[in-house]
Amino acid sequence: MTIPTMKSGARKATPRQAPATNKPHDVLIVGAGFAGLGAALRLQQEGVGDLVILERADDVGGTWRDNSYPGAACDIPSNLYSFSFAPNPDWSRSFAGSREILDYVHHLADHYNLRQLVRFGRDVSHLRYDDKTGLWTAVTQTGETFQARSVVMAQGPLSNASFPDIPGLDEFKGHKIHSARWDHDYDFNRKRVAVIGTGASGVQIVPELVKKVDKLTVFQRTPGWVMPRPDFATPQWNKLLFRRVPKAQESVRRALYLAHESMALGIIWNSPLTGLLERVSEAHLNHQVKDAWMRRQLKPDFRIGCKRVLMSSDYYPALQRDNCRLITWPIARLCENGIRTAEGIEHQFDCIVFATGFDVSNNGTPFKVTGSKGRDLDTDWKRGAQAYKSINVAGYPNLFITFGPNSGPGHNSALVYMESQIEYLVKAVKMMTSEGIKSLDVRKDVQRRHNHDIQKRLAKTNWNSGCKSWYLTEDGFNATMFPGFASQYARQMEGFDPGDYRVVRVAGRPQ
Amino acid sequence: MATIDLDNMLAKIKASQWALADIDWEAPGAEMISEAQWPKLKAFMSDLMWIEHVGARGFAAMAKKAPTDTLREIYTYFHAEEQRHANAEMALMRRWGMLEGEELPEPNINLRLTIEWLDRYSDDMPLEVLGSVIPMLEIALDGALLKFLLDEVNDPLCHQVFEKINADEARHLGVDFHVMEMLGRGRLHQLAVKTIGTVVSPKLIMGVLAYAPLLNRMRDNIVEMGLKEERLYEAMDKYQRIGGRTKEGRRNPWFQIISQHGRMVVDRSHIYHKPVDALVKLSNYIPRRALGPVPSWVKELTWRPTA
Ligand SMILES: Cc1cc2nc3c(=O)[nH]c(=O)nc-3n(C[C@H](O)[C@H](O)[C@H](O)COP(=O)(O)OP(=O)(O)OC[C@H]3O[C@@H](n4cnc5c(N)ncnc54)[C@H](O)[C@@H]3O)c2cc1C
Ligand SMILES: [Fe+2]
Ligand SMILES: [Fe+2]
Repeated sequence: MTIPTMKSGARKATPRQAPATNKPHDVLIVGAGFAGLGAALRLQQEGVGDLVILERADDVGGTWRDNSYPGAACDIPSNLYSFSFAPNPDWSRSFAGSREILDYVHHLADHYNLRQLVRFGRDVSHLRYDDKTGLWTAVTQTGETFQARSVVMAQGPLSNASFPDIPGLDEFKGHKIHSARWDHDYDFNRKRVAVIGTGASGVQIVPELVKKVDKLTVFQRTPGWVMPRPDFATPQWNKLLFRRVPKAQESVRRALYLAHESMALGIIWNSPLTGLLERVSEAHLNHQVKDAWMRRQLKPDFRIGCKRVLMSSDYYPALQRDNCRLITWPIARLCENGIRTAEGIEHQFDCIVFATGFDVSNNGTPFKVTGSKGRDLDTDWKRGAQAYKSINVAGYPNLFITFGPNSGPGHNSALVYMESQIEYLVKAVKMMTSEGIKSLDVRKDVQRRHNHDIQKRLAKTNWNSGCKSWYLTEDGFNATMFPGFASQYARQMEGFDPGDYRVVRVAGRPQ
Repeated sequence: MATIDLDNMLAKIKASQWALADIDWEAPGAEMISEAQWPKLKAFMSDLMWIEHVGARGFAAMAKKAPTDTLREIYTYFHAEEQRHANAEMALMRRWGMLEGEELPEPNINLRLTIEWLDRYSDDMPLEVLGSVIPMLEIALDGALLKFLLDEVNDPLCHQVFEKINADEARHLGVDFHVMEMLGRGRLHQLAVKTIGTVVSPKLIMGVLAYAPLLNRMRDNIVEMGLKEERLYEAMDKYQRIGGRTKEGRRNPWFQIISQHGRMVVDRSHIYHKPVDALVKLSNYIPRRALGPVPSWVKELTWRPTA
């Protein structure tokens, strides 16, 4: 059975204007989420003016446009989950909701005039490099083409919602909703509703949904570690302070950053802090859940940090409400009226919510990418994705990837990592435009050495400690996470050394 | 049943799931239970469904100890499948008018003690203990109780249900014995040290105090219903035969202990029965109140095909 995948707001766009204007752009960006917009913003600030962004949906925002389920929020404090070059003094809560983060993205797009760069409704299905010209061509679903010297793949690490591989998925006659494609028109009032999945999205949805429905049943396969989340509204004086004294906000951001960095010690490696974090989480569980059997059902049996740590103070209480039930029996199949579990019972529902996550391409690419001499990135990555500093791949000149292989943050804000990536690619592109470079291709040996080092360091981490997660490929290769502190990642990305690359200049241009 | 490929087994398990809703509980045949049979059958079914439920809890404990992801998932399914058996057997009882409303059949006191023990201590037992005791329970069920039931009861629906249950049990036994052999593969002195450590643990002794009288009471109940006790002994014999067919199986000290115990159980004149039968009698005097409320995992039992 193939697992159906839903693309964010993808819609069939009719090719509007004549394809491929005659002059290629300097940079083409795929995706208008934080990464795509952030890259465009910084490139513009650095004087690279000729940009185009292709976005398959009809609005900017990425993750925060798509994930609008009740309870959707960031689990990194907002002051850290924002760009340092565009601070927002007005965050209403310590952990902003999805809507407010989307507003922030909208603000970025409007304030920095980025919308005019975006071509909406363009779903990129193929990127093709031409050795002769040193140009990339992006082909969309509808066959429209765009050309550019450099390409930034910013299509997002978690943008293709996926349904689980459960038999009978299509037999269910009731309503189906994926957490990342919320149906705001569905009336939950008096409904019997199931939530499948208890990961980051599941634990946010359950406490909200339980208030709205008649009966909520939560299907859990593997319990995760849950930490309390100290969410509170930002007092007015605080906003004022941040607005008048930006330095104050900077130092709060710095403190939050360091606090998360120190977590890395426990989350990434097995250290005394790991045990301490597990005990905090266990105490949280024991404090909130009275029944011994339920506690047992909710207690994780893998090391903390091996999967994403969940943050919630209201998930456990929600599970214990009278109209809520936790089911840990394996799901056997979906049927016309609901879900059949292995204890032989058919649980009937009006609506099933899938909080089952995303297609993560850790051994492939989300669309076809053809590099130098016709090589195919999906094939090159079949046995686990590899890149240089997570951003370039040998054999794919002038191509920059955000959240490429081994760039994943396990303990800190994704935006902190993203900023390092953006600064790196800005340096490279600036050099290319100013020096008239035709192609910039990372050297194979440099890439090999880098990956040797990364995998050696990964072997010592909790992610590779023997539990299955989306961080790992089927055969346990970790192509997702960066094995270190965010500051180590930042240091890795700080230096852009042209010596790591094979540089070809446009013919006729002096060295 | 040579060693099996656990990944294939897991795939087979997933492909063989069935539900109470697959069965037409109103189909004709319920009237074939005779008046004379009825009370005994009720007691028998009630023991049977509780033993399934106890087995279910055993597998839940084993899932936590499983050395590999595949075995953990298999045990998670077995946990659910034993629950399914208990649920289906309750549905049969309901069909035969043996259950009123939402009530659960009353577990006998020895079952109740076993449930109590499982709830408190089973998660602390090493895989070796549960992995060797569970096959004994499973084989006793498969070999004796179910065959007896099918000999005695003519209701065709009952046969239909137990055909499904037996198909599950065949897979359980396959994995059970595979794991018993796996557990015998370690270094001999390590096995011995670990075994002695566990044997003297008070938690295990409590377990034996619950398990031994349970077996004897079941024997008594079965005999009273007209089953030849040889049937039960044949089943225990089978445990020794299959469990001991390979060197690894025989090397598993827990297999040896349980086989030895089996031989004592079978030998009616063995001194073993004196204290154990006394315990059975004694347990009749335990006031239910002394045990407190049943653990909440018991409340997940249901005869309703849909929820
Ligand atoms: C529910 C949820 C909660 C999260 N919470 C946190 C958190 O608390 N902290 C944290 O650090 N991170 C969190 N993340 C991770 C989050 O994905 C990143 O923080 C960040 O938003 C990624 O931004 P992005 O721009 O790289 O990708 P996205 O925001 O996914 O943007 C990618 C854009 O590319 C478009 N696109 C994709 N494919 C194509 C194509 N073929 N053609 C054209 N356009 C395309 C998409 O439509 C989308 O607009 C969360 C993610 C999810 C899903
Ligand atoms: Fe069974
Ligand atoms: Fe069984």
